[in-house]
Amino acid sequence: MLDPLEQQDITEKARQQLSTIIDPEIGRSIVEMGLIYLVEIDFEGNVSIIMTTTTKGCPAAGFLTEAVKACLACVPGVRNVDVTLTYEPVWRPEMMEA
Amino acid sequence: MLGATLSRWTMSYFAAALVCLVAGLILTASGFGYPSTAIEAPESLVVIHLFAIGWLGLLFAGSLLQFVPVLVSRPLEMPHLSLPVLLLTITGLGLLLAGFLGLAGILPLWSWVLPLGGAVLALAFAGLLWMVTRTLATARPMPLPAKFVALGCAALVGVAASGLLLTLPLSGLTANQYLVGLLLEAAPSHAYLGLVGWMTITAIGVSYRLLTMFLLSPERPRMTSRAVGWLMAVGLAMVAFGTVLAGAGTSPTATIYVATAFGGIAVLIYGLDVHLIFRERKRKSAEMNVLASLAAVAMLIACFALFGASTMSDLPIDLARPAAYLFVFGWLTGLGLGQLYKIVAFMTWLECYGPVLGRAAVPRVQELVNERRSSTWFLLYFGATVAATVALIADTPAMFRWLALAQLAAVCALAFEFTQARRLAIVPQAVRLPKGAIHPRLFLPSFKGSSQ
Repeated sequence: MLDPLEQQDITEKARQQLSTIIDPEIGRSIVEMGLIYLVEIDFEGNVSIIMTTTTKGCPAAGFLTEAVKACLACVPGVRNVDVTLTYEPVWRPEMMEA
Repeated sequence: MLGATLSRWTMSYFAAALVCLVAGLILTASGFGYPSTAIEAPESLVVIHLFAIGWLGLLFAGSLLQFVPVLVSRPLEMPHLSLPVLLLTITGLGLLLAGFLGLAGILPLWSWVLPLGGAVLALAFAGLLWMVTRTLATARPMPLPAKFVALGCAALVGVAASGLLLTLPLSGLTANQYLVGLLLEAAPSHAYLGLVGWMTITAIGVSYRLLTMFLLSPERPRMTSRAVGWLMAVGLAMVAFGTVLAGAGTSPTATIYVATAFGGIAVLIYGLDVHLIFRERKRKSAEMNVLASLAAVAMLIACFALFGASTMSDLPIDLARPAAYLFVFGWLTGLGLGQLYKIVAFMTWLECYGPVLGRAAVPRVQELVNERRSSTWFLLYFGATVAATVALIADTPAMFRWLALAQLAAVCALAFEFTQARRLAIVPQAVRLPKGAIHPRLFLPSFKGSSQ
């Protein structure tokens, strides 16, 4: 059982870990690119990610979701990782961090 | 899973296409075919079909297998047809060229070779159309770029059918009056259906998606883009109608002129769209593929201006053939080489580094290429192409051959750059081959992994 502070701590570490994954075309992290819509962790350490890609049908989509799973699996305290790919809302260039 | 996969045989299509481009340029530079011989001479038909089917046809087919799934966010239907289609295209082209060489007296003349080549090519294109249209059919509603591809597919049916019919009287197998009429009148329509109908309409449609994707520009439905599609569709319908009538002895010249006028307006509007996409881009630095595409679009517009000027009957010079030359080498080949530069690196990245993303440090796609060196080759290519067009207008065939040699040098250098990307030769050593990554093969697919 994780308390709210531990959940917050793991969420932060998960975000930091996700920042190591780059968008291959732009070279910036998928977090900076605004591709991660939601990072959520329950009290058992199960992480849910909702993410997107810059283009619907992007050939890298499968690799990006697998990369998110693999990268979060090594965060201490994380048990399972569930990644959902969505295009609601569709990613727009304005979603990138300046 | 939503999305597209890697097309397993696309790199093999590209390799075969580049071999045909190099072979065609060697022949041209050595004085074989147009402009050293008349454009309707069998030698010219060898070179023209080596470029049209071998280079551009294989390039477009391989690209469609990779990018139609991207356009509709669905995996390719019937992907196992990819290899048979490639082999049939190469076989059909080989037979067709053997037939033309027979007509030129260079090979023994067997009358059945040309129609057999046409039939094998028609079968290959049917296989390609089956994969592409079935994949497109899974998309509801169909996005605008996919509609352009569907329109291009209709033109491909027309060019394959007219090509097959043209082989029958050309080979001497039949003296049917309608088919002979077709042979005498329909060659320009056949070329229009292929180069404008199939390739240009498809390239325009796919570019709407790829340019916005690579420039991080908003992809918004524009009235202007729809207008481009409708104008192209009307022009295409007119040329198809003219082709059917050509067999009855009616010259299709008028329909081609009107279709070219429609096409000219369409490419002007398309140029405006490209300008807007470029202006609204979030990614400020334009890479080589985008710059090459912009150069190609400028040449497309120049082609239609030349075609327009060629309709003035009192001109003392031939502008139609130089315009067609610029269309094939400035627009279609320039665009093709520019896109290959990006696609080869992008697909190589996916194949090699995609599986280890998130597990190891990986390079950016841009680190697979040498942009500075490649820009020199692109500059040489486009410069030589424009100069070669001027040499054709000025009717200086010797100068033209030297310029074709310069084009050949640029293409060989670019092909070398593509192989460098495939070999990961430019990638910094520290991230070249992280643990778990598999070095891609030069042009054959890796038989591991989940790509189709």
